[in-house]
Amino acid sequence: MDILQVANLTKQFDLYKAVDNITFSLKEGEILGMLGPNGAGKTTTIQMLLGVLTPTFGSISYFEKSLFNHKEEILEQVNFSSTYTKLPENLTVLENLTFISYLYDIKHRKDRIIKLADQFNLNNLMHMQCSDLSAGQMTRLTLAKAFINYPKVLLLDEPTASLDPDVADFIRKFLMEERKKFQVSIIITSHNMAEVEEVCDRVIFIDQGRIIANDTPEGLAKTIDTSHVELLVKDGLKRTIEICHEKGMKYEIKGRYIVIDVKEENIPVLLYNLMEKGVYYDEIAIEKPTLEDYFLQVVKQKHESP
Amino acid sequence: MFIMKHSLNRWSDMIYWPILDLLIWGLTIKYMTALSLNPQKMIISFIAGMLLWTFVWRGQYEISVSILEDLWSRNLINLFVSPLTFWEFISAFIIIGILKAGIGFIIASSVAFLLYKVNMFALGFYLVPFALLLFMTGWWVGFFVGGLILRYGTKVEQFAWSMVYLVSPFSAIYYPLSILPNWAQTVAKLIPTSYIFEGAREVITKGILDPKKILYCFILNCIYMALAIFFMRKSFNKILQKGLVKVY
Repeated sequence: MDILQVANLTKQFDLYKAVDNITFSLKEGEILGMLGPNGAGKTTTIQMLLGVLTPTFGSISYFEKSLFNHKEEILEQVNFSSTYTKLPENLTVLENLTFISYLYDIKHRKDRIIKLADQFNLNNLMHMQCSDLSAGQMTRLTLAKAFINYPKVLLLDEPTASLDPDVADFIRKFLMEERKKFQVSIIITSHNMAEVEEVCDRVIFIDQGRIIANDTPEGLAKTIDTSHVELLVKDGLKRTIEICHEKGMKYEIKGRYIVIDVKEENIPVLLYNLMEKGVYYDEIAIEKPTLEDYFLQVVKQKHESP
Repeated sequence: MFIMKHSLNRWSDMIYWPILDLLIWGLTIKYMTALSLNPQKMIISFIAGMLLWTFVWRGQYEISVSILEDLWSRNLINLFVSPLTFWEFISAFIIIGILKAGIGFIIASSVAFLLYKVNMFALGFYLVPFALLLFMTGWWVGFFVGGLILRYGTKVEQFAWSMVYLVSPFSAIYYPLSILPNWAQTVAKLIPTSYIFEGAREVITKGILDPKKILYCFILNCIYMALAIFFMRKSFNKILQKGLVKVY
């Protein structure tokens, strides 16, 4: 069942079209990644989905109800967290969560806040002023805020930016667990491609305000047919470079390693050629294309296009 | 000089406040000189004006500065992604404003009584409509300033402190309207607070109040309130066009 339906959504700022006729949906319990280079239109789209930016054209429906006609009713079941917004810094963590719980009219608010503090490891920070929180602690607080109303739809803009790797890992696991337990539908924007590959069921890739791809992370990565072969060459680096030139393969020297971009089906040929030319290597690693490669390719194409 | 070019605050510090002070205190001294034979009357008139003005100031301040605080703390988006409506947002400021002004007025009035033997509660029942009508003026100025802040962001934040004082020279807070030059008296007729401060002076000195003053003040307040709410709503819709995140 589609929890969210977006049709022909467009946002024009004077002469600049930030979002250009995008259509997509979000299923119950689905985690959808929204990717794209800076200025692609991701944040503008999120803002429109939250009702804090009026679209120029198009429609947004949650639970088969129009956001424009049922805004308050819908927002009771939606929440949001972003590293780009903050909570009032002159309030303590507890005061902020209490205030937000009133906004959403949370029943048994004390219990809810205690549970969130526990889940997001905020127990020792509850009486601390938000101005004294570190960036990571503030992110944990804004995430706790985002879960306060048991949302059915959660919009997360860069949720793990500025977090330590262990905390970011905890957040990813928490999101997946919440999805599993409560069928929460999540839209997530991130610049961490590995994270998107790990948590997202599907990815929409936005560039210049348009959706240019809508697929699983694996599906998008598969559109790139170039793998990376990384070699620690013991003897014959010059010969390896010659092979690359002969075969028209791109390569990069990284310290003691050479990384060669090669189509997956040509890897055996490359290895045969290396053997033939008497190249000895101590280590070899073959990296399959990832979502990051897809991202880099799109960005590269963008820079190359006139 | 470059900072001056972009800062409304610095221009208002340089021009707005000195002129305003000169107008208000110059006219007040002129009035005090006329009343010099009756110092108690002078004290009552002065302190009553000062205390009643807190209703206007608090009404306006609560709305405009609270909106500013939400902009400074980048909290506006957290509020409006919740089920909170625009009118609930505004009503909260009004209610807090009434509470704060009520508490502040009671404390300040008690101090005025203890120190200067000025009994504000001698205004009796009149105090209620006076306070409400003065609040109304504060609210519409607050809505108007709130609309400006929503529209132009923190670069016009100075209005949150200064705008309400624009009506003060014409409000006859410390001196009667008759002290003002003719052109200013005409302007004062369009300022709702002038009717209240004149009325309060009448009650204190003569014990009577012309009900027309209350009526005129109420009508003017209603007109300005409707215009200010319309402006603020339009400003809010305008920021929804460009995005709440971009306001600060």
